[in-house]
Amino acid sequence: MSNKAARNLFIFGSIFFFVIFLALTYDTMSQVEKRAPEITEGVNAGKMVWHKYDCIGCHTIFGNGSYFAPDMTKIVEKKPKGYLKQFLMDPKAVNPNASMPTLGISASEADEMITFLDWISKVDTNGWPPKPILAVASGVAGKELTPGEKVYRAQNCSGCHSISGIGGTSGPALNHVGSKREKTWLIGHFKDPKAFVPNSAMPPFGHLSEKDLNDLADYMVSLK
Amino acid sequence: MSIKYESQKIAQYFYTFAVILFLVQVLVGIIAALQFMWPDFFFLNFNTIRTLHINALVVWLLVGLMGATYYVIPEESETELWSVPLALLQFWATVVAVTAVVLGYIWMGFSPQANSLVLGTQLLNEGREYIEAPRWADILIVISVLLFLFNCFMTVLKTKKWTGIQGTLLGGLLFLALMYLPGMAYTKNMIKDQWWWWWVIHLWVEGTWEVIAGALLAFMLMKVTGAKREVLEKWMYIEVGLVLFTGILGTGHHYYWIGTPGYWLWIGGIFSSLEPVPLLVMVWDAFRTTREHRVSANRPGQYYAVAHAIFNFVGAGLWGVVHTLPQVNKWTHGTQITTAHGHLAFYGAYVLLVLAMIYVTLPAIRGVKSFNESRSFQSFWWMTISMVFIVLTITGAGMVQTYMERLMGLDYVAVKANYNLWFWILRAIFGVGFLIGVWIFVVDYFKLGKEPQRAVSAAPERA
Ligand code: HEC
Ligand code: HEC
Ligand code: HEM
Ligand code: HEM
Ligand SMILES: [Fe+2]
Repeated sequence: MSNKAARNLFIFGSIFFFVIFLALTYDTMSQVEKRAPEITEGVNAGKMVWHKYDCIGCHTIFGNGSYFAPDMTKIVEKKPKGYLKQFLMDPKAVNPNASMPTLGISASEADEMITFLDWISKVDTNGWPPKPILAVASGVAGKELTPGEKVYRAQNCSGCHSISGIGGTSGPALNHVGSKREKTWLIGHFKDPKAFVPNSAMPPFGHLSEKDLNDLADYMVSLK
Repeated sequence: MSIKYESQKIAQYFYTFAVILFLVQVLVGIIAALQFMWPDFFFLNFNTIRTLHINALVVWLLVGLMGATYYVIPEESETELWSVPLALLQFWATVVAVTAVVLGYIWMGFSPQANSLVLGTQLLNEGREYIEAPRWADILIVISVLLFLFNCFMTVLKTKKWTGIQGTLLGGLLFLALMYLPGMAYTKNMIKDQWWWWWVIHLWVEGTWEVIAGALLAFMLMKVTGAKREVLEKWMYIEVGLVLFTGILGTGHHYYWIGTPGYWLWIGGIFSSLEPVPLLVMVWDAFRTTREHRVSANRPGQYYAVAHAIFNFVGAGLWGVVHTLPQVNKWTHGTQITTAHGHLAFYGAYVLLVLAMIYVTLPAIRGVKSFNESRSFQSFWWMTISMVFIVLTITGAGMVQTYMERLMGLDYVAVKANYNLWFWILRAIFGVGFLIGVWIFVVDYFKLGKEPQRAVSAAPERA
C-alpha cells in the first residue's frame, strides 16, 4: 500500500464511521424520550441540584461518575423518601458513621432531588443494575426461618440494618439490639420511631399487624 | 542536539506548567486515596479533591501536548512559528484561566452554596465529571485552543510543507477542540446529558488523543532512531485509521446502561473489543523501528517512547478489553475495575507520551549534546512499578467489590469499609512510591542540561 492510499483510507474510512455514528445518534435521540417518564420542571430542578452540589464527585449515576459512594440509579427503590430527605439534609444526624458531608441542601432542594432520582429510577437501563445472582438472603443454609425473621426479610429491614455484617449501613447494626432494648420499646419504636428517638429517620411500620410486630420484636430481643 | 528554529523554545513554557501540575495532580491523588480511609481528615471534601486530581491531569496533558506541538510544527514546516507573542499570550491566558478555575473549585469546597446559578449555569463547577469547569471557563478554553490552532496552521501555511505527521497531529488537535463542544450545552434529560458527555470523554481518549499519540510516536521514533519517514508515516496512517474505525463506534461501550436502545450492546461490544488492535500495532511499530535502527540519539527519549507504546496497549487495550463486553460490564460497570483501567490507561497512553516528548525535545531546546540520564531512568522505574502496583491493588479491590456487592448483594458501604480496607491502604503506600518517581522527574526536568557534565557513561545500562 502506498502512503497516499493509506492516508486516503484513514481519512475516508474515519469519515465513513463518523457518519454512521451520527446516524445512530439521531436514531437514539429519537428513542430516549420513550424510554423514560416525562421530564417535569421538578425533575429538571432536581437535576440542577445534582449538578450544583457536584454529587457526581462522589457518587455514580447510571454507573458513571466517582466510585467513592453508592450508585444512585435505583436509590429511591431501596430507601423510603422520608428517610432520603432527612439524610440529604444532614447525613451525620441520621447516621453518625456517615462519610457523606453536610452540604447545606435545603428542604425544597431535597424534595427536588428526590423527584429527580425518582425519574432516574424509572429509566429503562437495559436491566442495569442486575440483581445479585448469589443472593445472600437465601441465608442460613437449610435452617427454618422464624416468623420474626420472615417479617424482617419481607419488610427489607436489611436494606438499612445489618446483622452479623450482612445488610445495609444506613441504620445501626442490630447484632446486639436484644441486650439493649426491651420488647415494649421495640414495638412502640416500630410504630412510631420519632416518638422514641427524636428526629429518627427510620420509616414507621405501624401498618404491620400486631402479630407481625410482635414476632419482629421477639426476633430483635433474641439478638443478644 | 540543538533546535533549528528559535521559536521552538516556546515549548518550554508549556512543559514547565505541565510538570508543576503533574506534581499537584499526584499530591491530591494521595489525599483522595487517604480519604477512602479517613473521609474527614482534610479540609476539602473528597469530591473537590477528586475534581482537582482529574482536572489537573487532563489540563497538564493538554498543556504538555500543546508544548510538544509548538516544537513539532516549526520543525516539520521548516520555518519559525508564525507568531511567538501570540503563543505567549495563549500560554499566559491558559495559566490565568486554569488558576481561576482551581480557585473556584476550592471556594466551592469551602462553601457549596457559592456554586450559584448565573445566567442559567453554575458559576464555579458544572458538576459533570472531567468537564467540571464552568461555562465562562469553557469559553476561555475554546478561545485559547483556537488561538493555538490558528498559530499552528498559519505556520504551516508559510511554507505549505504538509507532512503526514504534521497533518495528522493538527487534524487530531482540531478534532480534539471540536469534541469539546458537545459537552458545553445543557440538557434537561440525564440520558442525553450522559450521551454527549461521553462524546467528549470517550472520543477524546479513545479517538482524537490516540490520533495525536500516533503522530507523536512516529515523530519521536523518527527523531531518536533516524528511521525513514515514509515507512513511519505509512504505519501511522494504518494505526490512527484503525483507532478511529474501532473507536468511534466503540463509544457504544458507554451506551449499554444509560437509557439508550439495546442495539448499543451489540455495536459497542463488537467495535470496542477491536480497539486494542491498533494499540498492538503501535507496540509492534515501536519495537520494529528501534530494532532496525540500533543507534539511538536519545536513550531516555527512546525508552519513554517505547514504554508509552507498551503501556498504552496494556492499560487501555488489555485493561480496557477485559470489561468491555456487555456480559462482563453488566457486573463490573462503575466499580473499582474502572478506576484501575482509568489509571493504567491514562498513565501508559498519555502521561508517558508527554514525558517521552519532553525527553525527546528538551535536550535540543536546552542545547545540550548529552545529559545525565540516570535520573530519567530512576524516575521511570519508581513511577512505573508504583503505578503497576496501584493498578493491581485496585483491580483486586474491584474484583472483591464485583463479587461481594454485585454478585452477592452485600451493601456498598460494608464492602468498601470492611472488605476493601487493605486495598485502600496499599494504594496509598504505592501512591507515595509514585510521588517519589514524580519528584525525581521534576528535579530532572529543571536540572536537565543545566548542571556541569559528569562522566555521562556512568548512566546504568538498564535499557
Ligand atoms: C464527599 C462525597 C459525597 C458527596 C459530595 C455526596 N455524597 Fe452522598 N454519600 C456519600 C457517601 C460516602 C455515602 C455512603 C454512606 C455514608 O457513608 O455516608 C453517601 C450516601 C448517599 C445516599 C444514600 C444513603 C443511604 O443510606 O443509602 C444518598 C441518597 C446520597 N448519598 C445522595 C447524595 C446526593 C443527592 C448528593 C449531591 C447533592 C451527594 N450524595 C453528595 C458521599 C457523598
Ligand atoms: C430507611 C432505613 C431504615 C429501615 C428500612 C429500617 N430502619 Fe430501623 N433504623 C433506622 C435508623 C436510621 C435508625 C436509628 C434511629 C432510631 O433509632 O430510630 C433505626 C433504628 C432501629 C432500631 C433501634 C436500634 C438501636 O440500637 O436503638 C431497631 C431495633 C430497628 N431500627 C429495627 C428495624 C426493623 C426491624 C426494620 C424493618 C421492619 C427497620 N428497622 C427498618 C433506619 C431504618
Ligand atoms: C488511552 C486510552 C484510554 C483511556 C485513557 C481510558 C480511560 C478510561 C477512563 C478514565 C474510564 C472511566 C471513565 C469514568 O470516569 O467514568 C474508562 C472507562 C472505560 N473504558 Fe477506557 N480508556 C482508554 C481506552 C479504552 C479501551 C481501548 C477500551 C476497550 C477495549 C476501554 C474500555 C473502557 C470501558 C468498558 C469503560 C467503562 C467502564 C465502566 O463500565 O465503568 N477503554 N476508560
Ligand atoms: C499519573 C498518574 C495518575 C493518573 C493518570 C491518574 C488518573 C486518574 C483518573 C483518570 C481518575 C478518575 C477516574 C477513575 O476514578 O477511574 C483518578 C481517580 C483517582 N485517583 Fe488517580 N491518577 C494518577 C495517580 C494517582 C495516585 C498516585 C493516586 C494515589 C494513590 C491516585 C488516586 C486516585 C483516587 C483515590 C481516585 C478516585 C477514584 C475513585 O473515585 O474511586 N491517583 N485518577
Ligand atoms: Fe471508552
